[in-house]
Amino acid sequence: MSDSHQQDKSRPTPSAPTPRPLLPTLPARPWYERLNALNMTLLIFLLAVVFSGFFVSGSGRSVNVIENLSRFAQDFFPPDWSVLDRTAAALLETVVIAILATFFAIIVSLVLAVGAAQNLAPSWVVISIRMILNMIRTVPSLIWAVIAVVAVGANAVAGVIALTFYSIGYLGKFFSESFESMNMDVARSLRGIGADPLQAFQYGIWPHARPMIWSHSIWMLEYNIRSASIIGYVGAGGLGLQLHAYQEYGQYDRFATVLICILVVVTSLDFLSEWIRRRIKRRTDRNLSH
Amino acid sequence: MDSIDKNAHRADENVVISARGLGFRRGERWIFRGLDLTVRKGEFIALVGPSGAGKTTLLSCLCGLLQPQEGEVWVRPNAVANPQQPRACRRHFGIIFQSLNLISNADLLTNVQCGRLGRYGFLRTLLGFPGNERCEAYQLLADLGVGADPYKWVSEMSGGEQQRVAIARALFQSPALYFADEPVSNLDTYYAGRVLGLLRQQASQLGRSVCCVLHDPSLISRWADRTIALHPDDPGAWRIRDVRPQARELQGAGL
Repeated sequence: MSDSHQQDKSRPTPSAPTPRPLLPTLPARPWYERLNALNMTLLIFLLAVVFSGFFVSGSGRSVNVIENLSRFAQDFFPPDWSVLDRTAAALLETVVIAILATFFAIIVSLVLAVGAAQNLAPSWVVISIRMILNMIRTVPSLIWAVIAVVAVGANAVAGVIALTFYSIGYLGKFFSESFESMNMDVARSLRGIGADPLQAFQYGIWPHARPMIWSHSIWMLEYNIRSASIIGYVGAGGLGLQLHAYQEYGQYDRFATVLICILVVVTSLDFLSEWIRRRIKRRTDRNLSH
Repeated sequence: MDSIDKNAHRADENVVISARGLGFRRGERWIFRGLDLTVRKGEFIALVGPSGAGKTTLLSCLCGLLQPQEGEVWVRPNAVANPQQPRACRRHFGIIFQSLNLISNADLLTNVQCGRLGRYGFLRTLLGFPGNERCEAYQLLADLGVGADPYKWVSEMSGGEQQRVAIARALFQSPALYFADEPVSNLDTYYAGRVLGLLRQQASQLGRSVCCVLHDPSLISRWADRTIALHPDDPGAWRIRDVRPQARELQGAGL
């Protein structure tokens, strides 16, 4: 009785147990669909690695690498701390050059990057600005320093000018890539309710791009501090002059002191940028964590 | 009702949106075709149909985000203006997007105030929004139950809260026309009723018009005047239905 009652309530049950339905056959995927841009890039890169291996060869003589290196390394220790005060003054100049150059480069790069981003500017602007950025990036920092020293003489101003140009090449590229990776939906929706293009950029793209912009900028500052310690080799101010002299006279213990000072500054900047990144990430990810 | 000729619609000041022979095609497939729709002042139109029927596409065509391949849409945001292309009067459109499109790295107040970007020039909003409007924006957030901390970032809010912020942005804009794409999909019954009630109020009391994609039949019968149903397979099989004929007649007489 109860059985028939249940049968009435449920859908009509089949008299014989039905066989398990067969799984549908998955349509086969043609092999060439795996050759997308990403996999092709990896493949070409691996081929390039293999071929490059044939082209590189040493002097052919048997050299005692360990002994050479240890003899060279011994010269660096112990560091000669007597030059610390002189180094500190030059280090300050190096940091000042790097800060000013990064500042000017950020401002110029932001303007150039908007023009170099494919989703923000017409293609003829994008192509021409990218061409300019590529040309700037082609010139190494030391050559920029030579040019600047020729133009304004051997002083810190030359360093600022040289590193500003050098940084624009990189920041312009990084910033434009940041803008291109942005989701355009917010900006487009703001345009949809009447915002003009500049407002849509300020409120729809800039808030999302800002963390990446700062991250790139701090990286550039760190990079510039390292660059600023080299450009002194050609007289553009900073630590480079000292490094050059110590190297010329074989005073590697003093050279080590300078390197340690640069290490301290670069490491603290690294911590700072890491801290900022973590703060921003924590705020944007809080939604996911709970 | 939709067979009246074009010129009569142009003359009728109560008509705010008029679509004639609208057709939209994705690739080879027509989403809808030959669609005629007239939206009058104070009307609440619900766009219905199963998933993939083209409700969002139709909404986007009406508010000028997509250009239909066939037919034309014109819009008259206020009674004195001449009929215009939708793209020309964007700032009169309050759009609640299905994907919300809020600025996730900005606080709630800024997001709500972005609703009025169209009213001001770039230089006016370069350093922030007019301060005297902040209380108004805060009031809307509080009305929708998301006013606890107006300086929180959108990314720190839950999905339903974000949806209410998007609705607050549209209400703050106080546009002549609301286009809402499933505005209550993430909300509980209480806030769904509250949000649709606010939109209904905007239509009935302030003479604005609402086009809204809705799924829930009980919400449709409670809040909408008319529905336009799209068919997922047959682009020509759209149909318009009066939900509340009596109420509509009263309104028609009143306006």
